[in-house]
Amino acid sequence: MIINNLKKIFKNLKLFFSYRELLWNLAYREINQRYKQSILGYAWVVLNPLFQLLVLTFVFSTIFRISSYNVPYIIFLIVGLLPWNFFVQSLSSSTNALVSNSSLITKIYFPREILVYSTIIAKMIDFFYSVLILIIFFIFYKINLNINAFWVIAYFLIQLIFTAGLSLFLSSFNLFYRDIQYLLNLIISMWFYLTPIIYPVEQFPEKYRFIFSINPMSVIINGYRQTVLGGGEPNYKSLISIFIFSLVFFMIAFLYFKKQEGKFADYV
Amino acid sequence: MIIAQNLTKIYKLAKQKTFKEFLPALFFGKKTTDKFYALKEINFEIKKGESLGILGKNGSGKSTLLKLIAGVTKPSDGKITIDGKIAPLIELGAGFHPELTGKENVYLNASILGMKKKEVDRLYPEIVNFCELENFMDQPIKHYSSGMYMRLAFAVAVAKKPDVLLVDEILAVGDIRFQEKCLNRIKEFQNQGTTLVLVTHSPSLIKDYCQKVLILDSGNQIFFGDAEKGVEKYLKNI
Repeated sequence: MIINNLKKIFKNLKLFFSYRELLWNLAYREINQRYKQSILGYAWVVLNPLFQLLVLTFVFSTIFRISSYNVPYIIFLIVGLLPWNFFVQSLSSSTNALVSNSSLITKIYFPREILVYSTIIAKMIDFFYSVLILIIFFIFYKINLNINAFWVIAYFLIQLIFTAGLSLFLSSFNLFYRDIQYLLNLIISMWFYLTPIIYPVEQFPEKYRFIFSINPMSVIINGYRQTVLGGGEPNYKSLISIFIFSLVFFMIAFLYFKKQEGKFADYV
Repeated sequence: MIIAQNLTKIYKLAKQKTFKEFLPALFFGKKTTDKFYALKEINFEIKKGESLGILGKNGSGKSTLLKLIAGVTKPSDGKITIDGKIAPLIELGAGFHPELTGKENVYLNASILGMKKKEVDRLYPEIVNFCELENFMDQPIKHYSSGMYMRLAFAVAVAKKPDVLLVDEILAVGDIRFQEKCLNRIKEFQNQGTTLVLVTHSPSLIKDYCQKVLILDSGNQIFFGDAEKGVEKYLKNI
């Protein structure tokens, strides 16, 4: 059964590959249309997280005085917050990716996962722009990086795989039951507080810390901090297990999505 | 080539209209859905280069059949086999985006139809020429009139010769001169071996463009065969 499923994944990847230009075009459409009628245009992609960062920094370093290892709080926060924003924005826009393209889904056949991936790609471009803020703050506070910072790439790829898998699930669930988009907001705000983004893991009560080990986003964000701010090597055991988890999760999501795909046009 | 064997499409309709009704029904194991036959055991065969016209009243299952041919939805029972590349002209411009320019939309829509960028680069002058919108290609299409919109959409859809061309009622748009241009293009494709599947309320169009006709009535196949005979039968029954 596993071999059969792998064959199915492979066959679909080939089909997907033949449609790769559509992927870029849809991502381009997504990016291009968004800020078309605004004065500041694409600058919003950077301004939004910047203000969010300043507000959170004020609240948590000045009012709540959360400790942040040995770096300024804003540096501590930015490393966790930007990837988290990318995660959340990908989820909330891909949840609607199928529903908002219903006119295409009911008319023309193409691999439907392209609609989901293209929104994630658009959000990824936003994310890369927002990393500019990070670079500026890192230079301003003279943060030293060492070679281990390159592990960020590995963690980012894992985050991407996990995000893609979850988005495939959410987009198809939302096509059948529109409750998902409302439920998602609720879940995301809870998830935000149960992930060490605004606080370090050490400040979380020890008896509840098991939550972090079953929360993939917490493993990933801790990975970013450990390698960029701590300058240490990643915890290889957790790196490999989160990689395997994300990959398997993605494959299950993909097979589920492909199985449901034929029904999309009837329910959307 | 298109072959339909016992082609059936069932839609499930929710029996209970509200959640308050639905939950108890689910709990007590009552039926929550009703079956609705959009198409029931349709059989036909179209050879390469032949064309099919589909006639029927509103709600007779014509659009469902087109969706099945386009591969957008799966049959509940039976089989449909299609040989070759399909170009759907069902509701033109489904992939257009109002904020993008005419040119950007051409590239986007062409890639939805499965064309490569290189091909579109090559076909682009021909597309612009066909829709006669040379001066508007760099404008966002939200400023287009509905006629311009349809012309652009049609030009993209027929830029490349498809093996199977699906046409759903769209020829009613645009002025007469442009309609003729569209029909000429379709005729050209037919002469080069394209199979046309045409859904329309106009029997005369079917006589002119199709060899075979399929008549549907609330999901049932009333007639399949020679276009002349079929159209005659259809007109008698109205």
